[in-house]
Amino acid sequence: MKDLSALTSQCIRCGFCLEACPTFTETASELESPRGRIYLVRSAMDGKLNWQDDVKPHLDRCLGCRACETACPSGVEYGNILELARDAIDGERPNRPRQALLKVATDPGLMRLQAKLSTFLPGNRIPNFVSRFVSGVDAEVDKPQIPSDWHIAPLLAKEVPPVRGEVYLLEGCAMRVLFPRVHHATRRLLRRIGYQVREVKAGCCGAMHAHNGGLDEARERARDLIQAMTDDLPIIVNSAGCGSTMKEYGELLGPEGASFAKRVRDISEFFLAEGLVKKLATSPGLTNRATYHDACHLAHGQKIWEAPRKLLGAVPGLDLVPLGEADTCCGSAGIYNVTQPKLARQLLDRKMRHIEATRAEIVVLGNPGCHAWIAQGCYESEQKPVVLHLAEMLEASFIGLDALAQ
Amino acid sequence: MEIERSWLQELSQILRADQLLTGAAARRGYDCDAYTVDRFPPVAVALPESTAEVAELVRWCNVRKVPFTARGAGTGLSGGSLPALGGLVISTKKLTKILEIDLPNRQMLAQTGIANKKLSDAVKAAGLHFAPDPSSQTVATLGGNIAENAGGPHTLKYGVTSSHVVAITMVTPEGDVVELGSRVPGGPGLDLAGLVIGSEGTLGIATEAWVTLTPLPNHVITALVAFGTVRAATESVAEIIASGTIPAALEIMDRGILGALKAAFGLEYPAGTEALLLVECDGDSAEIVKAEMATVDAICRAQNCLNLETAEDEAARQKLWTARKKGVGAMGRLAPSIVTHDGVIPRSKLPEMLDTVYEVASRHQIGVANIFHAGDGNLHPCFYFDDRDADQVRRVVEAGEEIMRRCIELGGSITGEHGIGVEKLDLMGLMFSPADLEFQAQAKRIFNDGALCNPCKVLPNQKSCVEHKSRWRGVAW
Repeated sequence: MKDLSALTSQCIRCGFCLEACPTFTETASELESPRGRIYLVRSAMDGKLNWQDDVKPHLDRCLGCRACETACPSGVEYGNILELARDAIDGERPNRPRQALLKVATDPGLMRLQAKLSTFLPGNRIPNFVSRFVSGVDAEVDKPQIPSDWHIAPLLAKEVPPVRGEVYLLEGCAMRVLFPRVHHATRRLLRRIGYQVREVKAGCCGAMHAHNGGLDEARERARDLIQAMTDDLPIIVNSAGCGSTMKEYGELLGPEGASFAKRVRDISEFFLAEGLVKKLATSPGLTNRATYHDACHLAHGQKIWEAPRKLLGAVPGLDLVPLGEADTCCGSAGIYNVTQPKLARQLLDRKMRHIEATRAEIVVLGNPGCHAWIAQGCYESEQKPVVLHLAEMLEASFIGLDALAQ
Repeated sequence: MEIERSWLQELSQILRADQLLTGAAARRGYDCDAYTVDRFPPVAVALPESTAEVAELVRWCNVRKVPFTARGAGTGLSGGSLPALGGLVISTKKLTKILEIDLPNRQMLAQTGIANKKLSDAVKAAGLHFAPDPSSQTVATLGGNIAENAGGPHTLKYGVTSSHVVAITMVTPEGDVVELGSRVPGGPGLDLAGLVIGSEGTLGIATEAWVTLTPLPNHVITALVAFGTVRAATESVAEIIASGTIPAALEIMDRGILGALKAAFGLEYPAGTEALLLVECDGDSAEIVKAEMATVDAICRAQNCLNLETAEDEAARQKLWTARKKGVGAMGRLAPSIVTHDGVIPRSKLPEMLDTVYEVASRHQIGVANIFHAGDGNLHPCFYFDDRDADQVRRVVEAGEEIMRRCIELGGSITGEHGIGVEKLDLMGLMFSPADLEFQAQAKRIFNDGALCNPCKVLPNQKSCVEHKSRWRGVAW
């Protein structure tokens, strides 16, 4: 991986990142801005500040949304700086509550168990004793909910073209437990354009660990994934956070990771390149009003803004309205809404104000973290818009919204 | 730390806990703006949310004899928001509201912590904008623009901040709230708003301002022209101006900038390009704009340009602007620090001045790249270096001073839009006689007798600054 000192020295302190940073615009504090955080990291490396007392609280409040990378004229790799600095801080003094939280969030078995157990606890929110243990304050985020199974008739051979190729699909950790229908819809869409998923046993990609100070653990998971997905098949990812990290395996693991990374495609890129637009044109379509929220790790992490919008634009009859501050973080940010409930709530409120202004019935996005968090916001809102993953939305163009709910 | 605790207690009467930043990280984080050669930490940082809170803070500073310095986004390039004597930094970044939009009269009232571009965004649908457009406009605040009398690429045609701010609500250095200027052009009384605009935060803290809104031009054509020599580019600029055409922008970037753009973004320009000239013509009549661009085209071709690319639609125009907008920032790829100078010279002296810049930089062994508002002779040589190396810092300061001296010799000035700040204090004596400087000091004393309000800026030899200066001048990391 690159050297933290070299990475921080690319910042010339122009400040162009400030207005792009959600925590800066919320707090107005330079210390909660990318420029400020880079300066603090650099100062700690020079021995002028203390990592734990002076720097850590401000890095903890960083969403890791990387909107600053989009704004930065110097091409500073802020995401890398954040990961390396958090790793250095945790290496010096491990953050036990965060590690426990990561373990639950990235282990499908534990997550299912925890979700089931939590149904016995009163209220919608995760328990405050858990929240206080991790963040020091009361919870804002709702308990994870496991959806009931989706019953949909399989695609008939006459509905789809012959198979022309195979791909891998990252099933990951949280997505498979919380949003199994997204994978199901992804498979159906792939099949509609002639691709079949080669099934493998593989789990978490390590993104959450990499983002939260656990680079060694991230490397381990990355290696496992690379071993599971051999050959040269494209690797399709429908979770923006995972795709972003997997595209950067080269940073994490060197050449071995880099050649794997080249095969990683977000579903929106793949669908657009492989002709789903044409297929969508032949689908019945939908007449709803929808808006699109950019997941940070899709927009700022993978520089994908156009592809999902082009696909949605191809849904016959869909009224796609632009969302204000569409690529500003919603506050979910992995486990951020658990570790920093207050700022996360402020950002969700800000996101919901923009969503409500569109009067959209459906909010489309492409990442499980934002999905659950914005869904909570929508549930709390009077307008009660529905949140759908891009794959669900596009599949609905073929089968209708009601079929999604079966 | 004793001081800090008593401060905290007293300031907590004025502000909530989250409006006050203290501790080692705050002192570090606010010890400089985008000009990093000089640094000094404040004791604390206040984030007031109203004019009344700013006034209370300033009155408290007066009672406790605490120096205070206003700060917006901290994008200044001359150390204008450096807390030169420590004390309290008063940030305007919680004052970001637009308070009133008066479309029929094309005016807008906003708090001064709002980013420049947000003003234009708010009235874009009405076909209007706030004309001053510093390169940092996505972040630089209205207050900072007022302090520095900010310009930008389009000021060639539309004028600098002072032409677009008509009235200011200001907290005086003693903590009184006063209204300066008027919404009616040519209002009665002394033009104190005119005096305050460009005073670099030394005469008070502007908290609200009425700005004028300018119609967006109906037709815009942008051209990016590649030249084999810098001289051919500067000669073209001189000829374009001489032809009577006033483009909205005339910007030059030299080879150093192109190298940085290549390193940062992989941008490529035609082989043999030594300078890029960006020309923008705008107006309400398509024919006139096209005719202006035809003149530009003919002049550039006569100067043997290597390539000329034009664009009319927004996306294509923005692409041509990339080189200009991202040029300075891209220099982060070349070295950890840059200092961007801000000399002004008569346009006719541009070629000669550039030769001097290259010669001085090479003699001091510092990398240099040039990006500048060629249309108004406003030069921005950017030195790139490592500010952790004290010797490099010293060479950068020396080379900068040499270039500024040459600007004055050629009949120019030591700043066009970045301000004096602390950076160019010592050079003021080259531009003004002792009597002239004393007259300015007298004017300042009417506002700022206590020397607490943004001390040690603009005017050299201020009380207690001279002996203090060694503590912040050229402090290596």
